[in-house]
Amino acid sequence: MIDTQLSRRAFLRSASGAAKGSIIILGLPAILVSCEKSKKANLLNEEFSVLSEEEVQEFHAVAARIIPTDETPGATEAGVIYFIDNVLGDNREAEHETLRIGLREMQAAAAQKFNMSYFHELEPGQQDQLLTEAEGTPFFGTIRFLTIAGMFSLPEYGGNRDKVGYELIGFEDRHAWQPPYGSYDADYAERGE
Amino acid sequence: MAEANAQPSYPTREKVDFVIVGSGAAGGIMAKELSTAGFSVVVLEQGPYLKAADFKHDEWGYDVNKDLTWGARQGYPQTFRKSVDDDAVTRESVLDYAHNVGGSSVHYSGNFWRFRPIDFMEASVRGPISGTNFADWPITYDELEPYYTKVDWEVGVSGLAGPWDPPRSREYPCPPMPVKSSDVLLERAAKKMGLTPYPAPVAILSQPHNGRPGCIHCGFCNGYGCEVNAKSSSMASMIPLALDSGNCELRTGCTVSRVNTDENGRANEVVYWEEDGREQSQLAKAVVICANGAETPRLLLASESEQHPNGLANSSGVVGTNLMFNGYSTAVGLFDEPVNAHKSVPATRVLHDFYELDPSLGYYGGGGIDARHFSAGRPMNAALAGGLFGDAPTWGSEYKKNLQKEFTHTAAFDGHTTSLPLATNTVTLDPNVQDKWGRAAMRTTYLDHPDDISTMKFFYEKSMELLDVAGATKSIGSYTEEGQEGNVHLLGTCRMGNDPSNSVVDKFHRSHDVENLFMVDGSSLVTSGRGQPTMTIMALAFRAADSIIQFARRGEI
Repeated sequence: MIDTQLSRRAFLRSASGAAKGSIIILGLPAILVSCEKSKKANLLNEEFSVLSEEEVQEFHAVAARIIPTDETPGATEAGVIYFIDNVLGDNREAEHETLRIGLREMQAAAAQKFNMSYFHELEPGQQDQLLTEAEGTPFFGTIRFLTIAGMFSLPEYGGNRDKVGYELIGFEDRHAWQPPYGSYDADYAERGE
Repeated sequence: MAEANAQPSYPTREKVDFVIVGSGAAGGIMAKELSTAGFSVVVLEQGPYLKAADFKHDEWGYDVNKDLTWGARQGYPQTFRKSVDDDAVTRESVLDYAHNVGGSSVHYSGNFWRFRPIDFMEASVRGPISGTNFADWPITYDELEPYYTKVDWEVGVSGLAGPWDPPRSREYPCPPMPVKSSDVLLERAAKKMGLTPYPAPVAILSQPHNGRPGCIHCGFCNGYGCEVNAKSSSMASMIPLALDSGNCELRTGCTVSRVNTDENGRANEVVYWEEDGREQSQLAKAVVICANGAETPRLLLASESEQHPNGLANSSGVVGTNLMFNGYSTAVGLFDEPVNAHKSVPATRVLHDFYELDPSLGYYGGGGIDARHFSAGRPMNAALAGGLFGDAPTWGSEYKKNLQKEFTHTAAFDGHTTSLPLATNTVTLDPNVQDKWGRAAMRTTYLDHPDDISTMKFFYEKSMELLDVAGATKSIGSYTEEGQEGNVHLLGTCRMGNDPSNSVVDKFHRSHDVENLFMVDGSSLVTSGRGQPTMTIMALAFRAADSIIQFARRGEI
């Protein structure tokens, strides 16, 4: 099982209260980029080890709402879907099943509320509405976890392409630093404290 | 360096002087001390011999796949319950420790606070605490001090001697680590509050020492193996000396299943599986178990026999009880300027002004506060915890925007606190769950004492106050109000003491029941200290080794 709470520090997240998902409408260029990448994913379907073509399209779309593409790269550019396929294929059938069940429920909600069969066909605002309603479910916990993990883990696992995740948060992937590390220790040294 | 002696290959059917079970913080020291003193030693380690070049900044591998610590994925499920009235449930993480040569000293943070004189006699000074097994140690700080100094110099500790330190007979071998921004924030706030922050002693080399290089400040200490051998693990500092002695055979991938005794009740044989599942056993004149506070009691309980029906060395029934974790609290603040706490070692300043909380508070406890990165500097963990402050979203564009500042502009002031020893907090054998070898899984029963939780709350509140004084624009903090459900500090489960009815080993770590069996690791601790136990575990190991060598030379084993 993946421990979606992961670290002992993760209790901070629960302490910070349930997330209120905000509705964000992407600018058109970002959507186009996203769609372009999505098509590519389909074209490369033979590279996927455990995800079906439908799952690739759908999970890709979910990941792109969890870490959207806006002024900076998101889950799409990081190749999160490849990461998800890779790690689900690494002895994680239980997690895959959680996603399958959740996806069916998500698609049922899409049909009921918006008369559409697939999550990836919805407008971003509609997608966000469904995801907000899914918060707290095993499906949402698992897909959020995998999306973030795919954005910020080592590229050798399939995501974080060109280390776009690291760049996003200001983590420079290098192995040696020298002080000053930040503003406050620079100031401390300057003042001779 | 002189040419290393060849590692010996001892026949399993001939008695070696010592079998050491485990090669971690204590086992590595024991191996080095006994082998360089001329004794034949076989070390059995269940994990592989990973070296600096094998380690990576690999969050998915280490934190999720548990490549170092192992869990159900590797065939080692553990179960947890808060009390014997609950069903124990299989959990991903309960008692976490690294499975490799050097044990958890490879992936630890290296915060090397010595215990203080009060820790060894606190029950007498403060008085008993009803419903607990709070007790004095059978040794004093003064008896252990020479061995703390031995750890400083032989294992390698960086720090600055001063009035803040407990008494020490020698300077630190390496100066303290360069201060980080997170610690500048802590130091300045603490001084405003009239407190005394000081440079944190760490088992990480600030400059070359004993042929090992100084730290390059990569930031991946906590949970990771050091890629340059600057971290003072027993793997980096002790095991090479043991192997160079020509008297120590290190057998990796060997999982010990039981310790057998002869007709006189003496330990004479250690049974184990090799990696491919083949069962082996090594004959020995004496056995030293250094498997950690979880594995050591598990092995003793699993070694039951007609002669030892409650498990080996357990006539007292105390084996596996008095498990202590140390308490923990955290408080994260957002600051205007870049902090970059993810760079360099976890902490470079510490506050020990609250080492002993005022008894008038109405509860027992104490601890220290240091400044860290809230996700130990790990990008993936930081993002998983993202949306830290207030009602910030945990996914979507705004979440994504917040991540950058959360990662680079925060400091976490963390409390590290006492745990009381309780008969009800235990490591036992789970009758319902088995590991990949078919052994009973490790079952943890644990609920923090109310005083431990009050202490965590005190440190949480104090850290929030410090953040406020430090100028944090936003802050959030937490502690485990309902009690902890796992930890990496595994203490007290074979406690030392003078009375065989309520302790497992004597003051020399010798089993009260079996004269040629010694337990040396976190299990020996009588009290928990203030949250950084490994320095003391290592000092105890040096001291125990000295005693064992003398006993052996006098024919008293």
